[in-house]
Amino acid sequence: MKWSLPALAALLLFYPFILTGPFYWDIGVAFLLAAISASAWNIVGGYAGQVSVGHSMFFGVGAYTPLLFYHLWGLPPVAGVPAGMLVSLVLAVAIGMPTFRLQGHYFSMATIAVAELIRIFVGTWDLVGAAIGLQGPAVGRAWWDLTFRSELPYYYIFLAVLAVVLYTTFEVERSRFGYYLRAIKAGERAARSLGVPVRATKLKALMLSAVFTSVAGSLYSIKTGFIDPESGFGILVSVQMVIVAALGGAGTLFGPLIGALLLVPLQTATNTWFGGGGSGLTYILYGGIIVLLARYEPGGMHEWWQRVAPRLMRRSHAA
Amino acid sequence: MLLSAQNISKAFGSFLAVRGADLAVAEGEIIGLIGPNGAGKSTFFNCLAGDTLPTTGSVVFDDIDVTRASAEVHARAGIGRTFQVPATFEDMTVLENVMVGAFLRHHHRGAARETALRIVEMTGLTRQSAQRARSLGTPGRKRLEIARVLATGPRLMLLDEALAGLTPTELQQAIALVRRIHELGITLVIVEHIMEVIMTLAQRVLVFNQGHVIAQGKPRDVVANEAVIEAYLGRGHRRRRRETP
Repeated sequence: MKWSLPALAALLLFYPFILTGPFYWDIGVAFLLAAISASAWNIVGGYAGQVSVGHSMFFGVGAYTPLLFYHLWGLPPVAGVPAGMLVSLVLAVAIGMPTFRLQGHYFSMATIAVAELIRIFVGTWDLVGAAIGLQGPAVGRAWWDLTFRSELPYYYIFLAVLAVVLYTTFEVERSRFGYYLRAIKAGERAARSLGVPVRATKLKALMLSAVFTSVAGSLYSIKTGFIDPESGFGILVSVQMVIVAALGGAGTLFGPLIGALLLVPLQTATNTWFGGGGSGLTYILYGGIIVLLARYEPGGMHEWWQRVAPRLMRRSHAA
Repeated sequence: MLLSAQNISKAFGSFLAVRGADLAVAEGEIIGLIGPNGAGKSTFFNCLAGDTLPTTGSVVFDDIDVTRASAEVHARAGIGRTFQVPATFEDMTVLENVMVGAFLRHHHRGAARETALRIVEMTGLTRQSAQRARSLGTPGRKRLEIARVLATGPRLMLLDEALAGLTPTELQQAIALVRRIHELGITLVIVEHIMEVIMTLAQRVLVFNQGHVIAQGKPRDVVANEAVIEAYLGRGHRRRRRETP
């Protein structure tokens, strides 16, 4: 167990040299993006237990802003990343203030409603390309346009961002803020009676989560060079974040990473096996995972492993 | 007075759960609140703790009006409370539960952990400190709730049936713990059904019935009070007592 973290870090660092070629690198980039998004969601959804199913609003804002900067002013898309973070931060405050009065399913439903409203609005707004969306630079004018032919530079940029998100989550987990988030998840009334500023803590968590989700959106649009309302603000974007985190273990540091490690190759496999006809399988896959998790393992794979690992150790010692 | 609650009423629709109840608590006192089930004790308690907004009346703690303040503000002011049904943070360890309380006065993890460890030891939970709260039985959970509140550094503790459901041995240990807490200079208001607890610990007792205080005084005087006996046993008890040879 002592070596698991360095081993994981080494594996991620050398993955492109272990599995070479654009196909595997593409899977690696998709895995990292899913892990970043789910880790960002995990801060508010996993640790604080505020299950937002509308996080695509922050992802979409982050995805649109870089390409909007390029579209309107010809600036390198990366210049729009801080603006996306700022807009997401403001949006988190505007959404969090009223919705955190709601609890449980009502909060989740409110986040879906807001995200859908934003998606519909963006789909009719000409400034951001309406239903067609926006495009980035087809050919990079300089390195700062971040348009690379190979997936490799993206892999390492995404890996660096994931490291920042995980380190921040690690620090949050150990801090007073982290303890408060877990207390809120366990019981708001009891937390409040111990002096926990419940609404302010939830709002801070949403702000932090929104900023990182926005960065994930920016990385996505900069890499693909294209964004439209569905790929930025679509409900599937939110659902994927929730499922990846829940599959691995919501409210744990490495849960989203484990979830992405399981889900992304599975998605790629179904898409590859069934070709173009397999695109709808994503919905079936998500639905199946939700049912299986709810029925057999609500704590996700992380909790399952924590239960199983000691038994395996005992068995191996006995042998 | 450390705490002064005056004319507290709480209505839920047309039902009046508490009707004009008063309570004055001096620093260092142990006060017992007793009464039959549904007498309004817990609702009154919730009004004192900032968990429920009273319909009328005022709550003043240490010369500050906290009537409309939230539970969080009450905790910051120095009012800690336990719950009738233990509300421990199930997925957190015993030590982490207590640390949540300790973080109220200590912003840094190290200082909060130090305080929590001291309180875990004081409350006899050291052996279970690394266990998740969900693995504890009722006595452990009740102890953990007390520990968690202690970690917030309260001046007044409101214990809502914190000693209910314990075996005789556990009860004696819990009574000893409450005494130790009192020795720390913490004022206590205890809602309890177990008369042994009230008779042993309380210096003054208030009896609730149908939402208002029907008697108060020293424990021995209160239990002999006719109105109190009637509240617990019903009007027929006097007739039955006369009929008994």
